[in-house]
Amino acid sequence: MLKSTGIPNEKDLESVIPPKERLAKGPVAIIECFEKIPCNPCYTHCARGAIKEFEDINDRPQLNYDICNGCSICVSHCPGLAIFIVDETYSDTEALVKIPYELLPLPVEGSFVTGMDRGGKPICRAKVVKVQNPKFQDKTPIISLAVPKELSMVVRFLSLEDYYSDSTIICRCEEVTLGEVRELIRKGYKTVEEIKRISRCGMGPCQGRTCQQLIMEEIAKATGERIEDIKVHNYRPPILPIKLGRINGGEKNE
Amino acid sequence: MNKSASVVIIGGGISGCAIAYNLAKKGVKDVIIIEKEYLSSGATGRCGAGIRMQWGTEMNCRLAKYSVEFFETANEVLEYAGDVEFKQGGYLIIAATEKEVAQFQKNIKLQNSLGIPSRYITPQEAKEIVPHMDETQILGAAFNPKDGHLNPFHTTQAYADAAVRLGVEIMKYTEVTGIKVENGKIAGVQTDKGYISTPVVVNAAGGHAQIISEMVGVKLPLYSERHQILVTEAVEPMQGPMFMSFSQNIYCQQTPHGSFIMGRGDPTEPRDLRVTSSWEFLEEMAKTCIRFLPPLKDIRMVRQWAGLYNMSPDAQPIYGPVKDVEGFFLACGYSGHGFMFGPVTGVVVSESILGEEHTIPVDALSYDRFEKGELILEPSVV
Repeated sequence: MLKSTGIPNEKDLESVIPPKERLAKGPVAIIECFEKIPCNPCYTHCARGAIKEFEDINDRPQLNYDICNGCSICVSHCPGLAIFIVDETYSDTEALVKIPYELLPLPVEGSFVTGMDRGGKPICRAKVVKVQNPKFQDKTPIISLAVPKELSMVVRFLSLEDYYSDSTIICRCEEVTLGEVRELIRKGYKTVEEIKRISRCGMGPCQGRTCQQLIMEEIAKATGERIEDIKVHNYRPPILPIKLGRINGGEKNE
Repeated sequence: MNKSASVVIIGGGISGCAIAYNLAKKGVKDVIIIEKEYLSSGATGRCGAGIRMQWGTEMNCRLAKYSVEFFETANEVLEYAGDVEFKQGGYLIIAATEKEVAQFQKNIKLQNSLGIPSRYITPQEAKEIVPHMDETQILGAAFNPKDGHLNPFHTTQAYADAAVRLGVEIMKYTEVTGIKVENGKIAGVQTDKGYISTPVVVNAAGGHAQIISEMVGVKLPLYSERHQILVTEAVEPMQGPMFMSFSQNIYCQQTPHGSFIMGRGDPTEPRDLRVTSSWEFLEEMAKTCIRFLPPLKDIRMVRQWAGLYNMSPDAQPIYGPVKDVEGFFLACGYSGHGFMFGPVTGVVVSESILGEEHTIPVDALSYDRFEKGELILEPSVV
């Protein structure tokens, strides 16, 4: 399969995926290099000596998982873009996957993109945690994606298109689609508050618990602003809907 | 960034946008609206958005009738891509005291003489119109089927879109920090985004109108007062008209979207620029609402907020020029009904600026009425 499609199968991957116990300890390199080719920059750049010295320049890299600390220096130096860092300790539910990415434009930190598998199939929504592009990486930026933990060995590329499409309903209370919000942003509504008032997005019983974050991401994507700099809408009481009879005294709120 | 304009309108609510639209339609070039936040972020976007022709003075009846007739065709006239959501379910104004019965019968006579189709109805007739009301709580009611309400965001947007198509510039997120007057004439407006030289400034700043006027040394007899309001979850359509009482202090409508919007006044509300929400309002509102409309007790409220009434001494707007400062025009002091007067505000203020004869005579609403002491007090205000 590898020979005809370029996509490794489970058996191929077995030889490069560290044991569970190692993954539980923190970040580590996953060197998905399956071809014997004359290439060794991963070995020459590893400052910790975690990659075994090549006896023959055609050798496949042999990584000592216990020495590797997932520093990611080898990631940008691999001409084949075959090395990834996986950190399964990132959070309780998510793993961090560091991916070499040589396309422009680069994703924006804090935005959401689509995580893809090795075959380029959209797999999940992924948050761009970091975009590293210092000079020593020589124009091979590294994108850190937060992905669901069970997909840490599946997500290996990304598309800037959001995993959600225009027809996705992002405000379930008022049934507003992502497409409607994107259209408003194109028309010049650049704040959550304005979008809320004109579209009702976030005005329903949940008061924007789901959609607000999504709107902020869309604004960030359109304006290039950082999500942290985008103003949230005014929070208004009550936190949860409450029956008028309950406010009047006595009746239970179901 | 310095620029010039022929007219600068301060305030991006319904009034400012309607004035800009009317000026541009009459061919005035280089009109700029300055808005501190975004369109309808102030009183316009916070109001109950009810529209009624049932007033107690001839002036207000005429202003409201003009506005209603405009709203009926607003989507077409303004060529709006959206919908202003005008619902003419009527206004049912209940009489809970003998004094109200007498006042309403007098009002209706006046209204009918001006072509407004209001009528006095019995509690049983009222019950037929709003089946979930407790008719034993009322003595009678005034009903006008042509009253109603609309969506303030979309209505303002409709005016703004039409104005922009005619060349008006809207500067959002821009704050006026000063107004320059030279030899008793307006010279320009200083904002946090630069200076705009202009011979004409319109004060349509809603709850902030008195602050803007002070920038040119004019002390308006206005103050701002907080009014609170709440909205419920959307339910099946069950209430056609706006339900309202002056003496019992409630207005309550069901929007086309299905949610109920209700509010009430409170004489102890702070007279400043605060728009925070209070628990006391919620309790009083729920109590009043359930007393008259008992089944609403099972509907959940989802949000409360507040906005500013810009109160004038006679609860009437102030329209037109200020004689001490040439080029300074007022469109403020609406005392809680600026939204429904939006269309007429746009027409008469643009006429004032251009020195044209008024479509509706509004000289009695000029600023100098306070000096002359010629006040026309409106009896029907919540």
